[in-house]
Amino acid sequence: MKNVKNVYPVRGQRVLTEIKRKQTSNGANYWQFDHKVKKILEVKGITILPSPQAWERFIWTRKWFGKKPKEGYFIWVKEQTDFPLTTCVTIASPKISQNLTNLLVIEKNIKTEANVLCNAAKGNLCGSHRAQGKLILKEGSFLKYNHFHKWGEKDLVEPNYEFILEKDSKLIYNYQNLLPPKNLRLITAFHNKENSSVQANFVINSLNSKTELKESIFLEGKNSQGILKLRLVGKKEGQIEAKSTILATSPSRGHLDCQGLLVDRKSKISLIPELICQNKLAQITHEASIGRISEEELNYLRMRGLSEEEAINLIVSGFLKS
Amino acid sequence: MKNLLKIENLSVKGNGKEILKGVSLKIESGEIQALLGPNASGKTVLSQVILGNPKYEVVRGKIIFRGKKITQLSPEKRVKMGLALAWQSSPAIKGVKLSQLLKRISSEKDLKIKEGRELLEREVNVDFSGGEKKISELLQILALNPKLVIFDEIDSGLDIKKIEKVARIIKKELLGKNPKVTILLITHSGAILNFLKPDITNVMVGGKIICKEKDYRKVLRVIKKYGYEKCKKCLPR
Repeated sequence: MKNVKNVYPVRGQRVLTEIKRKQTSNGANYWQFDHKVKKILEVKGITILPSPQAWERFIWTRKWFGKKPKEGYFIWVKEQTDFPLTTCVTIASPKISQNLTNLLVIEKNIKTEANVLCNAAKGNLCGSHRAQGKLILKEGSFLKYNHFHKWGEKDLVEPNYEFILEKDSKLIYNYQNLLPPKNLRLITAFHNKENSSVQANFVINSLNSKTELKESIFLEGKNSQGILKLRLVGKKEGQIEAKSTILATSPSRGHLDCQGLLVDRKSKISLIPELICQNKLAQITHEASIGRISEEELNYLRMRGLSEEEAINLIVSGFLKS
Repeated sequence: MKNLLKIENLSVKGNGKEILKGVSLKIESGEIQALLGPNASGKTVLSQVILGNPKYEVVRGKIIFRGKKITQLSPEKRVKMGLALAWQSSPAIKGVKLSQLLKRISSEKDLKIKEGRELLEREVNVDFSGGEKKISELLQILALNPKLVIFDEIDSGLDIKKIEKVARIIKKELLGKNPKVTILLITHSGAILNFLKPDITNVMVGGKIICKEKDYRKVLRVIKKYGYEKCKKCLPR
């Protein structure tokens, strides 16, 4: 039974085109523009609330929120659904400073997918977007979390997400940022309990922006697994610093795969892989490389009729998919 | 017949070293010409320079295609005029499917040949065998719908059955067209010549074309018996 509440006329339709493409007509949604919750669409088995309301209504959430949230969303998936969750948080007005606290809880043995878009409606809004997020995957659950960022050239963005993977749970996390803000500081931590696994893929195209990444996988439970894959492109004087850590404290397996591609001479990528093993039965491996666009590949594609720019774009898109 | 491609006294440097030393070559429309030569004689460099690889610097001479001087044109403009090159060793393009590349370079939806369909969903040249690379090159060349194709060692690393197969595709899809597509076959071994029978065979040694002969069998015989250096002495220019 569908329960629609807080339905407002939707402006800025253009912004939602992409997210709409991914949702079905039955999708469970949370849409926020600036500080205002524009729409919440709940379905049976899924509770969606603004975080301040969840703090009041569900005492148990306080443990995860830490302190009373000002804004953000709370999504609690209690029953299996056949459609993806969709959230969209947009900066639509100039000089908005968002400060979100989000909590997503997936109950035991539930399998679901979330499409999450955080963006700016225009390129010159000079906004800031800070988000503290906790995502709890309970025992035996599965989540595919597709996280898209699209920002304006003058925005500041600081998301800090923590994923708790309980026993036997599985997470596929895809973060994609092809239109970066002026400054991006992205902190992501994954805590893996027994038999849980995470595959985290970060795809970032740093165009004239400063990007600081800090990703950590903590392999805390027996037989837990973690794969961290980074594909980073430095373009138009983009600066990226990525510190990636895998820490194993139990018999577990982890792999770190960081690759950077520099498209112009003034861009810079620093990769700092860190593997810490505190258990003799754990195995952690890593590979890291940074390179420039191969002249041979570029000339090959130009000899297929593509302009230099088209060839670079094709090589970059291929690299980000590889 | 008029010259489709005319190269006049072309000298080229790569990494500061002169590689081509005054190459002249004329190819008429509809012709098949062959270019033979030992390793490092400059055959591949000539093919890359004809297509405009910016890695090489033309220090003297000119290239004329379809009556227009193209020496300073970008590779993509030369391709749009109808030039195409099948690379000897083509690079891998990670993350780009062959079908995606074909779609980008061709307006036609369907493939012209049945060969290579199994390669379409794979990334361009990534972990392709030698034979698969040649088929991938052929598919791309056909997608470009060119007027003149340079095949750089299309027969190298292939067994005789596969060479025959490649020659059959070239005959049907390029030579079978009206008007015929003009072809320059660069080959080290000469294996493909028996199937495609060139009108003129050129021999390149040390960055120069040292001989030009109508009977390709005669050239192959001499090379087999005496090596490339002998061409200079035994065949008329």
